[in-house]
Amino acid sequence: MSRPRSQLALAAVALILGLLVVVQLRAQAGGSTLANLSSQDLTTLIANLNTRNDELRSEVAKLQAEEQQLTEQAATGQTSIGQLTTDLAQTRAWAGLSAVSGPGIRITVAGALPGTAVEDVLNELRNAGAEAIAVGGVRVVPGVVVAGQPGALSLVNTPLDDPFEIDAVGSSETLTGSLTRAGGIVQQLAATFPDAQLTVTPIDQLIVPPTDRQLVPAHGSPAL
Amino acid sequence: MSGALARLRGIPSWQVTLGLALLTLGFLVAAQLRSEPQRVQYTTQERPPLVETANQLQQQQDDLGTQIVQLRSRIQSLEEGGQGNAQVVRALNDQLQAARIAAGLTALKGTGLVLQFQDSILPVPAGGNQADYLVDASDLRTTIDELWLAGAEAIAVNGERVVPTTAILDIGGSILVNSAYLAPPYQIAAIGPADLLDRLNARASWVDYLKNRVDPVQLRLGYYEGSDITVPAYAGAVNLRYGQPAPAPSASAGP
Repeated sequence: MSRPRSQLALAAVALILGLLVVVQLRAQAGGSTLANLSSQDLTTLIANLNTRNDELRSEVAKLQAEEQQLTEQAATGQTSIGQLTTDLAQTRAWAGLSAVSGPGIRITVAGALPGTAVEDVLNELRNAGAEAIAVGGVRVVPGVVVAGQPGALSLVNTPLDDPFEIDAVGSSETLTGSLTRAGGIVQQLAATFPDAQLTVTPIDQLIVPPTDRQLVPAHGSPAL
Repeated sequence: MSGALARLRGIPSWQVTLGLALLTLGFLVAAQLRSEPQRVQYTTQERPPLVETANQLQQQQDDLGTQIVQLRSRIQSLEEGGQGNAQVVRALNDQLQAARIAAGLTALKGTGLVLQFQDSILPVPAGGNQADYLVDASDLRTTIDELWLAGAEAIAVNGERVVPTTAILDIGGSILVNSAYLAPPYQIAAIGPADLLDRLNARASWVDYLKNRVDPVQLRLGYYEGSDITVPAYAGAVNLRYGQPAPAPSASAGP
């Protein structure tokens, strides 16, 4: 084999090698595996992404308006107390540090079912846009988990009564529809736990109380 | 012996290089084939545009999230430099900062744990359900709940912070957290006490979960403990559309 031919062969191998290394690294970096989803799942995913992106765009617009107002106030030496107070009230309510009132639904849960099933209901409520949730009168925030075996449920180490209530603030129509649709969580649980009964009631005006938990972490500090 | 050596010396160096390169190539091809997830591959004609749309939307979502985090940080600086009654402004800013930390709008760093979940690489036996061999949304929800119960104070999955409105859902064989599409491996970062892993492993319900779900199909679960665990800020909307802040039961209720 002449020298140029050998170099050509080496170059070809090096090219393929390089491509494979990149493909492998990308795959390991957890790159998109969207190619593995069915068309139906992709359509659901796209609908989800569209909804979320719309929400994010309004949030960006809201924050941009807020930034502009603050910049103007700073330039004219005005006070920003009004803006601070509004921000504080919104953030505290959303985080669970203060009470939230509004329309929503009440779910009465009776009979034996495990804590994970109640957690599935909470997950479904969040997915349907619930803005504040309480279980047995206790605000659900990160760290508050319904746990335990059927008949012995607890919430933050406090036993839950049977029956108990889940209150959720949000669009009563959307929340009810999402829970009670054919094949929805209420039907699924009825099939899996025939002894349990979930009743969903739309409510015009609910009040979900604030949490009494310490939500500022003791083991972490703000990272810049 | 000397004959063999002489023959070896006789091999041109480019052949040796080529040989080595081909060997590496072989390894990489094997690694690539092995690392291909067992998740089903579909091939229909309408899919490429859908995949492209989903990728673009996910990219937009990432950009919007980055924009939100940057805007929040600039607003915070502006608010901290706010004028007016200095004492009132300072008090409000302190409360606001505490509320932002409580809401998950601030990135945190501290002691804790990262759990990494990956699909099983066991061959699915005849009559077995392939879905059982993949990590699904309920695995992530169970793990996150167990981490909370073990004392975790802040959690993120593949960079998506778990906040009061976080839902974790299955879409086909994949998982959505905060409506963001996550690809395996799933890394659950939790800030909490330094012995969070011991506390987790001491929980009977976690041990049951490992015994009944993780071990039988050999989902791959890895741990990292450290004092340098970070969880990013929530990069989504903080918005009450239906609800509104209601008066606190007592004026002194602080964060």
